[in-house]
Amino acid sequence: MRRQTTLRAAVSSVLAASIAVTAVSPAFAQRNDGQRTVGQRPDISTDEGGLWAQSDKAETEARTKAELNRDPDLTPYVRGVACKVAAEYCGDIRVYVMDRPYFNASMAPNGYMEVWSGLMLRARSESELAFVLGHEVSHFAHGHTLATWRTMKSRSNVGMVLMLAGGGIVGSLLYLGVMSTVFAFSREQEMEADRLAFERTVKAGYDPAAAAALWRALREETAASDFPKTRTSDTRGSIFNTHPITPDRIAALDGLAAGRTAPSEGERTRYRAQIRKFLPAWLADDMRRRDYGQTLHLIDRLAADGEDLGVLEFYKGEAYRRRRLDGDQDKALAAYTAASGHADAPVAVWRELGDMLSKVGKTAEARTAWETYLAKAADAEDRWLVEANLKKLNEGSES
Amino acid sequence: MKRILTLAAACLMLAACTTTNVKSAAGLPTAPPQNALVLLAQPDIELKLLTASGLLEPRADWTASAKANMQAAVEATLKGKSHKLTVLDPTTAMEGREGQVLRLNGAVGNSILAYGMYGAGLPSKTGFDWTLGEGAQLLAARYGTDYALFVYGRGSYSSGGRVAMMIGAAALGVSIPMGGQQAFASLVELKTGKVIWFNQAVASPAADMRSPEGAKILTDALLTGLPL
Amino acid sequence: MIARKLRVAVALAALVSLSACAGLKAVPAGPYASGGNQITVGRTWTDMGRLFDASKGVRLLSIDGPQLNRLFVIDGLKPGEFIMRPASKEKPTPTWKAGLSPTEQVEFLADTLAVMQYYRVETGGLRPVKVGDRSGVRFDITAQTVDGLDVSGIAQLVEAGDRLYVLLYLAPTEHYFSATKAEVEGIMASARVGA
Repeated sequence: MRRQTTLRAAVSSVLAASIAVTAVSPAFAQRNDGQRTVGQRPDISTDEGGLWAQSDKAETEARTKAELNRDPDLTPYVRGVACKVAAEYCGDIRVYVMDRPYFNASMAPNGYMEVWSGLMLRARSESELAFVLGHEVSHFAHGHTLATWRTMKSRSNVGMVLMLAGGGIVGSLLYLGVMSTVFAFSREQEMEADRLAFERTVKAGYDPAAAAALWRALREETAASDFPKTRTSDTRGSIFNTHPITPDRIAALDGLAAGRTAPSEGERTRYRAQIRKFLPAWLADDMRRRDYGQTLHLIDRLAADGEDLGVLEFYKGEAYRRRRLDGDQDKALAAYTAASGHADAPVAVWRELGDMLSKVGKTAEARTAWETYLAKAADAEDRWLVEANLKKLNEGSES
Repeated sequence: MKRILTLAAACLMLAACTTTNVKSAAGLPTAPPQNALVLLAQPDIELKLLTASGLLEPRADWTASAKANMQAAVEATLKGKSHKLTVLDPTTAMEGREGQVLRLNGAVGNSILAYGMYGAGLPSKTGFDWTLGEGAQLLAARYGTDYALFVYGRGSYSSGGRVAMMIGAAALGVSIPMGGQQAFASLVELKTGKVIWFNQAVASPAADMRSPEGAKILTDALLTGLPL
Repeated sequence: MIARKLRVAVALAALVSLSACAGLKAVPAGPYASGGNQITVGRTWTDMGRLFDASKGVRLLSIDGPQLNRLFVIDGLKPGEFIMRPASKEKPTPTWKAGLSPTEQVEFLADTLAVMQYYRVETGGLRPVKVGDRSGVRFDITAQTVDGLDVSGIAQLVEAGDRLYVLLYLAPTEHYFSATKAEVEGIMASARVGA
């Protein structure tokens, strides 16, 4: 089966083949302010009913997926934030955190919400997380999804075969083909969702400056890519085919926030405490994307407040070690060395230091690093490797 | 059985009558057991409307009807043979080892569809020989049953405009989904974990599972040769 | 009517993944090789053919079908080569390099497994093995498929003549891995690599 060459192309084919719109019927029971009624369920025979049922199925499957994050504290925390910005829709929403290294949050028309670890890693505060969740809730509350579906359906007149290869990330996202925000929201819908999310977050007591700051940071990360085409590509607020985060959206949010302040004292520290234990796994996942320029940019951002430097410098070292461009070896060495000076450094840093020091010929320091590793990592499975390295080193120096 | 749709469509053929393709494991007793205890998983069915423009629109109402109709028809058949049923909603059983066994059942089912139903199959396998392994005993113990029966349905019904378009496209050698419905069923002997019987039924227009009568016709064909 | 049925059926069959309807060859008991990576099997396996998104030198053997057992027999990788082909230039896949430490070799394989759509990949039990007159390493794998099916595996890496020869076996943890583990370890021990 052919593997789609771009995620977007593949997802578009899924979308085109699984859109569920039949006759035009009223979008949903609407309140006077145009938003959906709290707690509503569509009639099973309507187009929205069909989508709802597919969303239910996708949600049931999400519960069984490998990537579901099952930490007992994390999902309740994220749900709590979603509830604060969802306000009256809190009861309609169910949150699932997925360990996927991409910036994304999506909501299906039945209230099933996914929040990906790539987003959790890139939000610097609860306010920034709240803004993105509020953005999705706004799409949900204002029926943008159904409107987009119907527009696409009326436009589409090409038969598409519902066959997709399982290549790359698309395979794992096939079931998301029914997720509401997979479809391309228009610029107007995105700007409306930005504005509505801003209002929701401010109402919930969050920092008004957070929204623009996060969108801005995502654009900076795009520009930091190792790859030329990626550097000049669009920045998106979701991995799916939504309208990009363009300067006009950021300007609009800056305008809304002008003159407003809200206490954000300690907000970043508190948020970091919620995600601290996931930093190693999520950074390792991010590294598998193999865009080290972006991973390094992300690590620098995470390190800005001076917390978790042992872990962050270690992963910085890992990124340089893996990338192997000219000069990266020295940078890896510097990062590992910096990491080893912090109490939270993973024990592996001494093994990596030893490996790297030995590569550049600093045998005495390599020996010290490896011996430190063996002292600290009593149960390490790879002790025998480090012991063998030390033996070789000692024999070499004796000859 | 997520890839059932893909595999099913690949072997789809227009059928004027409901066709079946029954496979049985070797060495089954000639007389089926009496008063068996059977774990019946709720049928996993998805029905869609295939439009002229080639879009597959999920239809929740058709799916719900078909699920209810097929379950009723299967239950009636099994009870008519004096077997005792326990119904399971598999989506509630996906945790722990039981969840692994159910997922494995999906993988085995997909493998049977891909390699065990048509053509020469895998040269490394002789006969119809598929198993879930010893984990099936967990299901036996948990539900107090000797067998587990899994039923799946997938398909679409073409809109009028679609039918006209298919005829034209096929004449040009262009492959497009033709709209059709299939049901699959597998019977697992829980003591051994072996899949002792598997059938794929392609529905005729009369075997429309959206109606109780159509579901009965499809179920009769689907359960052909069921060794219970 | 028949011709139309066949034409459509053939076209549709071509869309089925992993060549379910064509290209399966018997591998009888005895030697089997992917280029310079030769193994000996004790019973008939099936050669599933090439994977569309893998390198030329990657062969897949199975007994019950790839969802139930997968033995990858991979011809020697040269420095800079990958096992799984990248979807685009800016989405690179793991490549092997010369001078990798054993931990980095394992990392290369583990990252490749992620590209093959395995999740929660964990490796352990790294141990030296003798493969013919060559030295190599073997290690254990646990992972999950996208649907959450637990998978277990073993990998064997042997460097010879500036190339890396890989044998990789994966099967569902539930029943299938333990049923074949001893046989697969025997196959791995039988490997002969290089010219």
